[in-house]
Parts: sequence; C-alpha cells; structure tokens
Amino acid sequence: MPTTAMFWRIVRRLLTANYARLFVILLALGAGAAVTSALLNLQIDAKRRLTTEFRALGANVIVAPRESGTDGNGATLDEAVLGQLPAHHEGKLVPAVAFLYVIGEIAKAGEIHFEPAVIAGTEGHGLTEIRPGRRSEYVAALESDPEACEVGAKAATQFAVHAGDSLQLRNEGRTASCKVFAVVATGGAEDTQIFTRLSTAQALANLPGRISLIQLSVTGTPDSLIRFIARLGQSLPGVDVRGIKQLAEAEGRIYNRISGLLSATVILVLILTSLCVMAGMSNVAIERKNDVGLMKAIGGSVRRVVRLFLAEAILMGIVGGLVGSAIGLLVSIWLGKAVFGVAAQPRWIVYPFSVAITVVVSIASAFPLRRLASIRPASVFRGEA
Amino acid sequence: MAALALGMAVATAALSVSLDVGDRLAQEFRSLGANLLVTPQADSLPLEIGGVDYRPANAGAYLPEADLGKLKTIFWRFNIMSFAPILDVPVDAVAVNNSAVGPLRAIGRTTLIGTWHDREVPVPDGTTYETGIEKTNPWWHVEGKWFKDNSTDCVVGAGFAKRYGVKVGDVLNVAATDKSTGMALTVVGILTTGGPEDDAIVVSLAMAQQLANKPGQYRRLYVSALTKPEDAFARKDPKTMTPAEFDTWYCTPYISAIALQISEELKGTDVRVIRRVAEGEGNILTRVRTLLWLVTFAALLAAALAVGASAAASVIERRTEIGLMKALGASSGLVGVLLAAEQLLLAFVGGGIGYALGIVLARLLGERIFGFAPAPKLFVLLIILGLAAVITLLGSAFPLRRASRYDPAPILRGE
Repeated sequence: MPTTAMFWRIVRRLLTANYARLFVILLALGAGAAVTSALLNLQIDAKRRLTTEFRALGANVIVAPRESGTDGNGATLDEAVLGQLPAHHEGKLVPAVAFLYVIGEIAKAGEIHFEPAVIAGTEGHGLTEIRPGRRSEYVAALESDPEACEVGAKAATQFAVHAGDSLQLRNEGRTASCKVFAVVATGGAEDTQIFTRLSTAQALANLPGRISLIQLSVTGTPDSLIRFIARLGQSLPGVDVRGIKQLAEAEGRIYNRISGLLSATVILVLILTSLCVMAGMSNVAIERKNDVGLMKAIGGSVRRVVRLFLAEAILMGIVGGLVGSAIGLLVSIWLGKAVFGVAAQPRWIVYPFSVAITVVVSIASAFPLRRLASIRPASVFRGEA
Repeated sequence: MAALALGMAVATAALSVSLDVGDRLAQEFRSLGANLLVTPQADSLPLEIGGVDYRPANAGAYLPEADLGKLKTIFWRFNIMSFAPILDVPVDAVAVNNSAVGPLRAIGRTTLIGTWHDREVPVPDGTTYETGIEKTNPWWHVEGKWFKDNSTDCVVGAGFAKRYGVKVGDVLNVAATDKSTGMALTVVGILTTGGPEDDAIVVSLAMAQQLANKPGQYRRLYVSALTKPEDAFARKDPKTMTPAEFDTWYCTPYISAIALQISEELKGTDVRVIRRVAEGEGNILTRVRTLLWLVTFAALLAAALAVGASAAASVIERRTEIGLMKALGASSGLVGVLLAAEQLLLAFVGGGIGYALGIVLARLLGERIFGFAPAPKLFVLLIILGLAAVITLLGSAFPLRRASRYDPAPILRGE
C-alpha cells in the first residue's frame, strides 16, 4: 500500500533528520533500559545471594522431640527421623545433622579427676554447613578414625588438651575415649562441648538409636522456609519442627530493605529517562512545526500526524530497550561479582520486561507532541510561532 | 529546568540516603542478636545445650550484676546497643490452675531463665540506661505482657505452655531442685523465640537470683554492639601491634576491640565474640554497602544524563535568539559566553530547587524503605551545585558550539 510505504518513509526521515538528537534520545532510553534490567536482575539475584550468605550463619530449622527434656539428658527422638527428612528443597541440598547431647564427665587421658561437660554426638550429611569450624577435614578424619573428636575452645582450655591429645569420656559407669582432632572456636555454646560420633554418644548415654535433635540448613526465601517447615511438620507428626526466628527475621528485614532500594532506584531512573526523552521530543515538536503545518494543510489529520511521531517514539523505545537491556544484563553479571563475589545469573525474564518498560516510557515521553495538534497551518506558513 | 531540578533531586536523594544508610544498616543487623558473650573467667565448664546452662546453682562462678553500668563507660560506649544478663536455674515446677480451685499438676524439672526485661541501669556517670532482653533479642515475642522487674510475674515458653496447658493468669509454684527456696509465679505472657526458651520459664533476674540463692549475681551476659566489619587489620593480633597501630585498633569499633574494652571494665570476665553472628553480619554488611553505592552511582549517572540532555535541548530551543544576536553583531564567543552564563545560572537555581526537592524525596524514601529520615547535609548541597554546573555546561557545550557557527540569515528567515 502506498500510504504505508509513505508512512515509513516519513518515519525514516524523521529519525534521520537530526542525528545528534536521535543519539541523545537513544542514549537516554538505552541507559534507562540498562539500569532497569541490571538492577532488576540484581534484585532477583540478591535474594538468592543473601539467602546463601545467611546460610553461613548455620542451621535455620530444628527438628526436636515434641515433649522436651527436663534437663540435659532429656527427651529424645528416633534416629530414623534423620532418614525421613527431604534431601532437597527447591532443587537445593538440605544439609541435616543429628545431635545427641549427653552431660557426661571428661578427663584428659591418664588423669583421674573428671569434670562434667557436654558431649555432643553428631551424624549426618553437611556438617560443614551446619557448624562452623574445620568440619570437612573432621568428617574426613572420622572415616579413618572413628574415635576422632573435636573439642570446643573453652573446653580445651579447661582440660588442657590440644589437637592430638586423648580424652576419657565417662557417663554413669560407661566409658569411652577419643582423640582430639581439632580445637574449634565459634563463640557459641559449641566452645564448651566435645563433638564425637553419634554412636559414641549413644553408647555413653545408653540410648541406642536415639538423638536429641536434628539441625537443618535450608536454602530459600523466608516464605519458602515457612512452607518447608509446615510441610515437614505435617509429614513428621510426632516431632516438633521449628525455624530459628533469629535468622529468618533478620534475613527478611534486610532483603526488604535492599529490594525496596533497588525498586525505588529503578523507578527514579525511569522517571529521569522519560524526562530526557521528553526534552528531546519537545525539540522535535518545535523543529517539525513547518512540516506538520504542511501535512495538515494538504489534509493530514491530527491523528495521522501524531501516529507518525508515536511510531518514531516506539521505534526508538524498541531499539533503545533491546540494546540497553542487553547491556544491562551483561553489566549485572559483573555487578553481581562486585557486590556478592559471584557472577549474577542473567534471568531472561528480565529482558522482555525491561524492553517493554522502555517502550512504555518512550511512548509516555512523547507527551510534548500534543502541541502538534494545536498547530494552525496558516500561521506557520506566515512564519509566526 | 524541570528536568534539571528533578535530576538533581534524584541525585540529592540518592546521595543523602546512601551517606546515612550505612550506619542504619549496621543497626538493622543488630536484630540478629548479641554478638558478644561475657562469662566469668574462673569458671567450671558450662553445661550449655542450645543456649541453656544445665549446671546446678552451686557449681561454677558468677558475676556481680552491680557492675553492669560500667559497660556504658567504655571507649565505644555509644556502640553498645543493649545487653542482658542471664541466670539459668533448674527448678521443679507445679502448675496451679487459676480458673477453679484447680488441681495441682506436677510439671517436673524445667529450666527457669532469669533476665532483665526493661531495666533502667544506673551508669557511673550519673545517668541511667534502659536495656533488656527484648532489645538484645528482638525476635522474642510475647503474647500478653512481659514481666515487671522485681515482680513475681513470669512468661512461659510457647512449647511449655502448650504441653502443660498453662495459660495467662495461671500460677506456677517453682522450687529450686534442692528444695531450699521456692516461690509462686503468676504467668503474664506466652513467649515465642524459636529457641530452647520456648520450653522454659522466664522471670526477672531478681527472682531467679532469689531461687538460686545468689543475690545480685548472674552467669552470662549477652552484649549487642555496633561494630565495623573486620578487615585484614582487625584480624592482626593486638599483642604484635606497634603502639600506634594498637591505638588505631583500640579506637576503631572492631568487635575484638570492643571485647577487650569490656573485659578491661568488667574484671574477672572472659569476653568472647559470637563468631557466627559477628562474621555473618560483617560479610553481609560489606556486600549491602557495595550494592548501595552501586545503586547510588546508577542514579547519579541517570540524573547526569537527564540534566545534560535537557541542557542541550534548551540551547537548541534558542536558535532564533542566537541568530538575532549574531545579526546584531555579537561575536560567536560572546554568544557562547552569554549562553554559558545563563546555563550556569539555571544550574544553580535548578540545583538549589533540586536539592530542596531531593531532601524531601530522601525523607520519603528513607522512611519507606529504611524506617528513618536521613539528616540533610550541607556538603551534599555543594556537591549537587557543582555537579549541576558541570553537567549543564557539558550538556550545552555541543549545541552551543554548533549555535555559535550558525549563519543568522536562514534562522531568522525561519528555516
């Protein structure tokens, strides 16, 4: 159709009439799109990253017996519960470690003066994630020496033991011994405890097959954590599943702050982009006065004229959005590295979204073109304003 | 002009929020709970499982409660956000149902935790300081009321309440395990913590001291302190530092320095850093701060772009005037200087308006996102005015150069 051909011909002329202005508008749209897509991608990534960071703080879910202990050697769970826990949550491994706490008596090998201390028997996969310390090496050491144990810093001072020494463990007449593999300092209760194999603690406590509690480290947003806890509580009716609120609350709070900050920035940047484009468009309106006057004089309707300029705006929005968003995604990979130390994964859903936003912004910024509607051809041709 | 003011408003808001937010974020992290633990130095090994000490009352060492005001006299006293002493007492409990002449129900052995709720601590300099467990552990929620200090009220853990059917208003008779002391406690609230306290009775420290027969003493002290994330320097051993280095270290709010200062003030104590909290906090804080600056930079960039483009547009709009000036004999240089001066004036006015707008915007954003309003800073105004001047000049330089080369005749003809 000749009209269509003419339409695009005019649009092409409009675009190429002033390269400097085209460049400024495209730069603004591109930069806006880049910032939008980079920050949105970072926002999605921050959620994942923060969750991972918080996992470094240790276990966030505890499975405990429903009726709790009245003292240290209190109620226990069946060891089999450990096997019933889901191994994955949302595609991520869920490290789970069973603990049996025994208040026993300890002495350095060769000494006869015993002192009470907490012996914690541990078993499960993912000790490294649950407890700080040189866990991976300890786990490896356990393979070769079932008597290896780890001693908390404070307990080590108390009993004057170092790595390599041996300890005697005693509880109600039952005895065991262990070889100190490492001394761990965490600043928490672990500093006063002695970590052994689960079976050693069970033998000492005469509680075969029993455990005090299970600690899990579940990766996921606070919401998905709540779902995980609810589901686990349903599937294990006899036990008490609870989240460690301390971590969940802090994590939720921090994420909300970051996410709010990123969203606010995206909105502000989009407003600025649209201001930028608007400035360019109002120039278009001024420069094109004569042309528009001519179009109107030869019978072009206002709608048709405006459609021309809108087509121009949309075209620029698409080009700016496509290029800018792609750059933004690339930049966000690098940003993720700068902020979190790990490259951010580009989320492809961000791309069409930020292109669409850019097009919307460019259409909204074509607002000054309204002025074209009020142009009277006669006065334009007379050289008036 | 609108674009200029708005762009500068965004720049102002971004700058003031990120300048102020770093400190606030650190405070946000204090919701993770205490990062320092104070225990007696000469102590038997605590039998601590999941935050509760199972030692009998007569074993181990205690610390004097009266000394606690000294915490607010250390060098970094304003960084001590809150602290709460803890005294665990193993007790035998019996529930008395309040509603009827209720039957006595033996509960058996349980743990009673004595601590402060909201306590006015006298500081040696004559002031008082309000603190308590609710401030150190903000994730502790009580349904009902907290106990009053020095009253026989208590709050019971949610798990405990559910298991024994204890409700607000019930009375619990508790006795030390050796039957030497005992008292009746009124339940005023149900406590949810997600920790072992859910299975315990929590009372005011004074009551726990009475039950344990340890007046004025406590076992453990949790301190929540605002700190600077540890860097390579902080990890150096203070003993190997030169005197100058030691001074720098001592006067920086590193957690290790604060720990040292506390142990200097509270004699006979062992101050340990709760690594899990302190390190996690440091890591995340550093990351969030980097992110904050990145975002600020992005906002500044966008603002600069918008302002530059609008400056360019405003020069292009003046073509006819430029043509007229040149037709009347103005040299290209003069036109350039005139327009540049005008742009500068615009930049200052726009920057000023933008700054005022930006302060409002920063308040709005700060309150919505971070729950606080950043204080206006004068040097932000200077930065903004400088930025506005540089960007408008840069933005208008290109069209100005073109404008100065215009041939006046076609412009005046309207071509």
